[in-house]
Amino acid sequence: MHIDTLYLKQFRNYKQMGLDVDNTINLILGENAQGKTNMMEAVYVLAFAKSHRTSKDKELIQWEEDFARIEAEISRKTGPLSLEVIISSRGKKTKVNGLEQRKLSEYIGALNVVMFAPEDLNLVKGGPQLRRRFIDMEIGQISPVYLHNLTLYQRVLKQRNQLLKNMFPVPDHEQEMMLDVLTDQLARAAAQVIVRRFSFLRMLAPWSQDIHRQISREKEELSLTYVPTAEVSEGMDLSMIEEKVKEKLMQNRQNEIRRGVTLSGPHRDELSLCINNKEVQTFGSQGQQRTAALSLKLAEIELINDNIGEYPILLLDDVLSELDNHRQSHLLHAIEGKVQTFVTATGVNGVEHQTLKKASTYYAEAGTLRQVK
Amino acid sequence: MQYPAPISKLIDGFMKLPGIGPKTASRLAFYVLDMKEDDVLEFAKSLVNAKRDLTYCSVCHHITDTDPCRICDDKERDQTVVCVVQDSKDVIAMEKMREYSGLYHVLRGAISPMDGIGPEDINIPDLLKRLQDDQIQEVIVATNPTIEGEATAMYLSRLIKPTGIKVTRIAHGLPIGGDLEYADEVTLSKAMEGRREL
Ligand SMILES: Nc1ncnc2c1ncn2[C@@H]1O[C@H](COP(=O)(O)OP(=O)(O)OP(=O)(O)O)[C@@H](O)[C@H]1O
Ligand SMILES: [Mg+2]
Ligand SMILES: [Zn+2]
Repeated sequence: MHIDTLYLKQFRNYKQMGLDVDNTINLILGENAQGKTNMMEAVYVLAFAKSHRTSKDKELIQWEEDFARIEAEISRKTGPLSLEVIISSRGKKTKVNGLEQRKLSEYIGALNVVMFAPEDLNLVKGGPQLRRRFIDMEIGQISPVYLHNLTLYQRVLKQRNQLLKNMFPVPDHEQEMMLDVLTDQLARAAAQVIVRRFSFLRMLAPWSQDIHRQISREKEELSLTYVPTAEVSEGMDLSMIEEKVKEKLMQNRQNEIRRGVTLSGPHRDELSLCINNKEVQTFGSQGQQRTAALSLKLAEIELINDNIGEYPILLLDDVLSELDNHRQSHLLHAIEGKVQTFVTATGVNGVEHQTLKKASTYYAEAGTLRQVK
Repeated sequence: MQYPAPISKLIDGFMKLPGIGPKTASRLAFYVLDMKEDDVLEFAKSLVNAKRDLTYCSVCHHITDTDPCRICDDKERDQTVVCVVQDSKDVIAMEKMREYSGLYHVLRGAISPMDGIGPEDINIPDLLKRLQDDQIQEVIVATNPTIEGEATAMYLSRLIKPTGIKVTRIAHGLPIGGDLEYADEVTLSKAMEGRREL
């Protein structure tokens, strides 16, 4: 897919900005704090209806204004689409071809975006919540149903955690019964989430393995394993998984009441990565961890193409200069000619790759973008 | 801008209603000023009367001007089935469909620990009492298809099952997250037919 035009109104430091995009590779240069990341963020928000760097939508609205709007015309295999996200103090609205979408899960997926920023280099060595977020975001954009189930799970989880807190120190009979109910409800939602995560990782693994092998010049085998908190495994059917999740919750029941929180389930599950059978989180060198992170991101691009029949938009914010020559080449070679990409950098130094020579170049300065090539 | 006291009081009154902000409230208030005095009096009277004359039925907790309500009082209705709903508006939606002739029980809410609402905060204890004295053989749970509505249904089922009374849940041709109130009558009657045992 391809973004043809982009229009920002009162978004971060952009008062008003329109852009015609006619190239596959687009390089955005500029000093610090001029609006490079803001522009990438706008594309991200257009895809996910939320930011990659803040959970507070209001921060996106230009200071002193009361709304922000992002519009884009995009081309997909199935035809052109016009997309719109409006954020105001009263909430947010999303529109496809001018029609307001009642639910976020109906909107998300209209535009597919993969973002790779310096913080993603921590995907492998950072905390487990980063890897869970990675899985959730990626499945979410190819499966609205997953997004729906995940939201459901999170809501039941909140209810259950609150109940657990209310139960301490002496639960009454009604609360015990209500905990049974919420345990059933949580296990049912959990099973849906877990099944989908298993199948996602099964599809992602061969891609990431392949890509990692190439970047490491055939020296390293990357493998992905889902490490669940309940005694579940791939191959099990939905009702079996539900049963096992419930079993685990039952086992921890007293402990959970004491601690006032749910101790097992998808919100505690982990994704483990191994290189040549050694866990990268623990034993990998920094270079290996970065390569693994890059492999995962590139695998994701291929997987989206596999699932929906076209490549997503790629956003590379400030990350190119963080990669050595060899990894840079690999990345740019992998996307060349097929993935519309927006790349930011403070200067051309360190990003002199052949592919970038063909790019359209823009210059960001104080909330404006000017095409220079 | 400073309004004269009577009108700012009126604006304030409108603003207490759901979905009405300051702009709409002052528009309504100024509209009232232009209305005929008789119409205003009539309107004021119906507001007060609605509040004064309507109470909750002591049996089923539906809003009513007689106690017990007309539905509870109607001996023609099937006394062996009770349909449990979250809200009086749901009773009205069901009655419009004219396919159901049993009794109702209005919970006036759903269990939600996050909102501090437990079983004893909605009319569940009362429902249990009803089930003891009456000749009720089936309870149809028609709480909303939301997480809290579902949890309430599951809770009721666990509570009532041991008494030997049949508990069913209406089938969801209904949108999840939607309120019963908005479901059209066709979906509702389908949902009623396809109810399953809990
Ligand atoms: N809501 C907002 N309204 C107006 N300006 C904002 C808002 N939020 C952030 N900014 C401004 O945007 C600028 C940051 O822009 P951005 O993060 O895009 O920088 P950048 O070009 O990516 O810089 P770097 O090279 O340092 O990453 C800051 O100067 C900040 O003051
Ligand atoms: Mg930046
Ligand atoms: Zn009644």
